[in-house]
Amino acid sequence: MIQVQRVSKWFGGTGRSGVRAVDDVSFTIPAGQCVGVLGPNGAGKTTTIRMITGYLPPSAGSIRVNELDTINDSIGARRVMGYLPEATPLYPEMRVQDYLAYRAKLYGLGRTARRAGIGAAIERCWLKEVARRRIGQLSKGYKQRVGLAGALVHSPPVLILDEPTSGLDPTQIRETRSLIKGLAEDRTVLVSSHILPEIEQTCDRVIIIARGRVRADGSPKALVSQIQSAFPHTVEVGVTPGGRERVHRALAAISCVASVQLSGDGTDENWARFIVLPKKDVGDMREEIARAVGVLGVVCRELRRAQPTLEQVFMRVIESDDRAAEKETRGERAA
Amino acid sequence: MRALSAICGREYASMFRIPLGWVVVSLFVMLSSIYFMGRAMVPGGAATMREVFGVWWALLLFLCPSVSMRIFSEELRSGTIETSLTAPVADGVLVVGKYLASVLFLITMLVPTLVYVAVLALLSRPDYGPILSGYAGLMLLGMLYLAVGALASACTSSQTLAFLGTLFALLLLDVLPARIAPQLPEQFAKIVYMLSPNLRANDFYRGLIDTSHIAFFLAGSVWFVVLATLVLQSRRWR
Repeated sequence: MIQVQRVSKWFGGTGRSGVRAVDDVSFTIPAGQCVGVLGPNGAGKTTTIRMITGYLPPSAGSIRVNELDTINDSIGARRVMGYLPEATPLYPEMRVQDYLAYRAKLYGLGRTARRAGIGAAIERCWLKEVARRRIGQLSKGYKQRVGLAGALVHSPPVLILDEPTSGLDPTQIRETRSLIKGLAEDRTVLVSSHILPEIEQTCDRVIIIARGRVRADGSPKALVSQIQSAFPHTVEVGVTPGGRERVHRALAAISCVASVQLSGDGTDENWARFIVLPKKDVGDMREEIARAVGVLGVVCRELRRAQPTLEQVFMRVIESDDRAAEKETRGERAA
Repeated sequence: MRALSAICGREYASMFRIPLGWVVVSLFVMLSSIYFMGRAMVPGGAATMREVFGVWWALLLFLCPSVSMRIFSEELRSGTIETSLTAPVADGVLVVGKYLASVLFLITMLVPTLVYVAVLALLSRPDYGPILSGYAGLMLLGMLYLAVGALASACTSSQTLAFLGTLFALLLLDVLPARIAPQLPEQFAKIVYMLSPNLRANDFYRGLIDTSHIAFFLAGSVWFVVLATLVLQSRRWR
């Protein structure tokens, strides 16, 4: 379990010259949940993660990991965490199994536990064939797995991964994603990433951070459903010459429709495609559209509601945050 | 204790997994043998290594910074410091572990020179007391130099800067006092001599073991190791 309570972080002091990287962030991650932290560059994701892992102390607020305070019981809190920092720093001159043994010793594992931990980490991260090779000779994908194995070697109940797929190719991303999914089955996992589909597919919950603040928090489904109402519907119908206006009028006459636009792409003279935008707070209108088109007696070969994605949620949050920032700057200038 | 030995062992082994460690040891053995042949193997001369120790000191002045320069700078450069500082290990244990590894390396560097003592013993009947105390002096001097180097290394992610910073500090500590002390009034000269590690180490080369000198070297080493720990900790609070 991770409890982050009203945490802030300033770099260079709290005065005018200082930079506020994290601003009053609070969230709780219950045991066994897999949470993704999203945010643009410089949003405060890595700083938040570094505070949770004890690498940086918060300027204000408190963080508890499995009920252990990261400041007052820093060593204890660090013991229950496995951490893979961004860019996966490793010792290139070491062999994989020596590195894992070193990590296990740092976490105070005795000989038997160490052997078991190294064996399990090697198996879980598919490192058997490279266990005796030097880390510097491995591909980036393997290095990532070594980093993950290093974070797992002491079987931590809490796993924190900062950009675990950055710089990997699509195959390696898929492999790492399935590895994280497997790891999330029996522990609390916090993953930070830029790659939205990765978070969407891996995590039970998403926290979007921008300008050091939590801007959205919920399951991917819940976040997506928040903006469903404004999503357009596409209708493609068979039309006779001059029939386009008739269909346009019929669609525009539906009570919950905000606007109808004739789309030019993918149609010929016998077919017309319309983009129907519903009014605010109106969700799925496919039934109403199908009924309206049916009354006209035209053939409908496509009726589709645009599926909102986490990416769109993310972009909306970031755009609204940018607008707020602009407003703030203007206000400051005016003052 | 397990973490301390793990850190020390990894650091020590890593010094020999890269060419630098082998180059430093080879260089020391080669140059020390040249000086041994020139200064100790003098026909008709006394079977002593006093003068040899006096020259080996200059080798330590350059070789200790090249050993200590990477212990923290390399971790800061590569980012492995983040995994080290988020492991359940106190910062002090991390610093002491790495420092002990560099001291072990210094011992490894000095061990081959015992051959010269054997050669001296084959050819004459040396007095072993001054030889033993000379080695003790070199060890204490090297430990202090390595502690200064550990501090410099904790301050920067550039190994070159760490090397130059250590060298500059050691020149200020050891070479400058020897040059300026003779020109100073007696009471000031005394203070300068007291602060110069090599001038204190000279007594060991002569066979004199002064507990105040031992205390000076040990306290100095501990002081710089503590400073290195504080520098490392201060990174968390910036």
